[in-house]
Amino acid sequence: MRHSLRALGSVVLLTTLAVARSASAQIDLSGEWGTTFFEDILHRGATLVPGDNTGVPLSEAGWRKAESWDEAVVGTHERQCIPHPVQYAVRGPGNIRMVKVVDEPTGRLIGYSLQGSYVGHFRTIWLDGRPHPSDLAPHSYTGFSTGEWVHNTLVVKTTHMKMGYLDRNGMPSSELGTMTEHFIRHGDHLTVVTFIHDPVFLSEPFVRSTDFVLNSAGNAGAWGSCGPDQIVDELVDRPAGYVPHHLPGTVDPGRETFLKTRNVPLEAAHGGSKTLLPEYIGRLRELANSPNAAPDAEGLACGGNRCVAPPRNDGSDVRVTKVQGRVYMISGAGGNIAAQVGDDGVVLVNAGTGKVTDKVLAAIRSFTDKPVRFVLDTAPDAENIGGNESIAKAGASGGRGQVAGAAVIAHESVIRALSAAKGKNLALSSVSAASWPTITFAGEIKDVQTNGEAIQMLHQPAAHSAGDSIVVFRGSDVVVTGNIVDFTRYPVIDTAQGGTFSGVLAAVNRLIDITVPHDWQEGGTMVISAQGRVGDEADLVEYRDMLTIVRDRIQDLIKKGRTLEQVQAARPTFEYDGLFGATTGPWTTAMFVEAAYRDLGRR
Amino acid sequence: MKKLAGAIICLVALSAVVLDAQRGRGAAPVSGPPKAAAPIDLAGNWVSVVSEDWLQRMLMPPRGDYAGVPLTLEGRRVANLWEPANASADGCKAYGAPAVMRIPGRLKISWENDTTLKIETDAGTQTRLLHFDASAGSASKPAVAERSWQGYSQAEWEQLIQRGGQGGGLVPPAPRAGAALKVVTTKLRAGYLRKNGVPYSEDAVLTEYFDRLSEDGTEWLLVETIVSDPKYLTQDFITSTHFRREPDASKWMPSACETARGKK
Repeated sequence: MRHSLRALGSVVLLTTLAVARSASAQIDLSGEWGTTFFEDILHRGATLVPGDNTGVPLSEAGWRKAESWDEAVVGTHERQCIPHPVQYAVRGPGNIRMVKVVDEPTGRLIGYSLQGSYVGHFRTIWLDGRPHPSDLAPHSYTGFSTGEWVHNTLVVKTTHMKMGYLDRNGMPSSELGTMTEHFIRHGDHLTVVTFIHDPVFLSEPFVRSTDFVLNSAGNAGAWGSCGPDQIVDELVDRPAGYVPHHLPGTVDPGRETFLKTRNVPLEAAHGGSKTLLPEYIGRLRELANSPNAAPDAEGLACGGNRCVAPPRNDGSDVRVTKVQGRVYMISGAGGNIAAQVGDDGVVLVNAGTGKVTDKVLAAIRSFTDKPVRFVLDTAPDAENIGGNESIAKAGASGGRGQVAGAAVIAHESVIRALSAAKGKNLALSSVSAASWPTITFAGEIKDVQTNGEAIQMLHQPAAHSAGDSIVVFRGSDVVVTGNIVDFTRYPVIDTAQGGTFSGVLAAVNRLIDITVPHDWQEGGTMVISAQGRVGDEADLVEYRDMLTIVRDRIQDLIKKGRTLEQVQAARPTFEYDGLFGATTGPWTTAMFVEAAYRDLGRR
Repeated sequence: MKKLAGAIICLVALSAVVLDAQRGRGAAPVSGPPKAAAPIDLAGNWVSVVSEDWLQRMLMPPRGDYAGVPLTLEGRRVANLWEPANASADGCKAYGAPAVMRIPGRLKISWENDTTLKIETDAGTQTRLLHFDASAGSASKPAVAERSWQGYSQAEWEQLIQRGGQGGGLVPPAPRAGAALKVVTTKLRAGYLRKNGVPYSEDAVLTEYFDRLSEDGTEWLLVETIVSDPKYLTQDFITSTHFRREPDASKWMPSACETARGKK
């Protein structure tokens, strides 16, 4: 009896294991998949025009951004090599190839590589349960994707997407968005259902289903490189930093033709959630008599005054992010701190507020036991230099680190600002004298050679303040922007310290000159901004384009004689507020617009 | 021995759980009455979310707009004959099974009986009957003369069978019930793939796959539609249409596709 039970137990165990094994052996998605081009041909083909946002649940911020888009922008140097972003790529006009990614030692299927469809780099969908990167990690045009099987469907979650588009007519998709795809195979048919969630530019998830057929004789193709040998001068006789766009009230001429030839009311052309439901057909009949009726504002995320950037990195946790080469980023201690590491010691760019220096030093100890030798200050801000004293005390300088205390280097204008603040009711006046820079430079450049790497501090006049420095780690290929760029908000323009809007824009254009991307306009030189995640040139370009468009709008309003109040009411930053705006706190959208207005009004 | 018996019971229970996971939500073996064996629940109220082909679906497309449809030369010729002025006389031509799921509207899906799934559309007030029982179906299949807009639909739960493997055959491959419904429709009346007279012929065969998706707390129905028509299509015409679940039928707005002249 006992033997029989044991035998039965063995059979049951084997059965269970066999079933469990078959559960993990899921449907095979690998192969060459030919795209079917039957759906949305008017949006996926050459007939798509700016202003045709039909069928897309854009928020007001979304359609406004799409309306300002000028297709000439893709001819700028910095955008010629941008591939189809992952938000659009599967919907694009190309075939795809799904290739299994196998862990060689175990033979285990750990992912699929999705190739083709004018995606720049191969995109990997990881199936091995790995976590998504930190919110401080760089974004890319392919994003970061993980998948898991739910019954007969591969469900793929994608995060870390760069700013992109939903269709090739400027319908935007923000970097705050995420995407879920459902890969469903029936025989030789593959359907990919895509849900895009975007708190800024969409008022509800945007769903599309794209069909492919197995095409063993096909070739996904459409990849390779796109870099300097493909980038040409498409836009001639334009000033540096030129950003084509349409001012509010001016639209792409193709839109009017589209509206007339297709009998599309303007409201419907803007898209939006309500336009996607069957009952909207009744509204279309009403609009047939007034096709240019003003569209209703729509969008939970970016309607009215609720359009503000979400909190990102609240500073409650000091964290380390490896950037590249010898450079790390330490966040959560005020502004971002960069740390370069090597045998000579540690070079910090900025020192945080000083409130959590112990945590900053502990963070440094997590990747080196060398002392801090230099602190390079990028601007006279308490959030950056408040920690100078305590960090410098813990360090050592001199040729071989024989002098107690790290050296603190800044442009001389930082000292001037600190001196001027003494005794006044300014945030800077709270910075103790022991935190002041010990070494200053008056010129445009300060060179530092440490850990076998050339480091340059480049003074940038009248930007965020009078005393900004950009720091370039030439070997590691990392640039620290200081407070000139803040990927989490509009740049702070400290007019009391000599900061100007125009100076910030000039500085961002200089940063774009300094940075050099890899193929497909991503990676290469990495960027550490005042706060938020690690970026690259493409992120700087988005930031520069935003500043340029806002500048042009405010200048246009100034030319028309508008007052500051009228300019504020016109909301020249509207579609960017969900990314960078704030209605409360130390730096609001209104303060940014005022700083821009006053600076541009003088010019 | 009690411990061993307990372990066996646990393993059997685990085995059942794993099989369930393979077979889909609450799946039972695909045997017995189709209604009871349904691996997915399609019943309920659904609304089409028109985020694809909006221009052709929400508005009346102009004559000659057959962009995206792989028409033969004959198909194009016929499509070009369509007159917008006569659109009101088209009746239910655009509401046949090959096109009706693409028309903006709402669906009510319910079980007519243990072997027949019913899909009602408020757009055009159409009813589709999906027959699972092949034997009963053959008996009740309409004669050739009884072609209709919705034709005759044969349904089956799609089964995904693992082939081969398992080495010595100690344990046979487990049949894996996929969570999809496959429907093949024939005996159609000739009609329109789009409202502007883009034709399909009575020889068209419609194959559909119905899948359920869950996304961020919202339930979706996906219908992949494959139209084969040797007369008017150069290749299979494939679209996939998505519907969002609605809590009730309060937004059900039936509209007839009949004309004043009673043409149907």
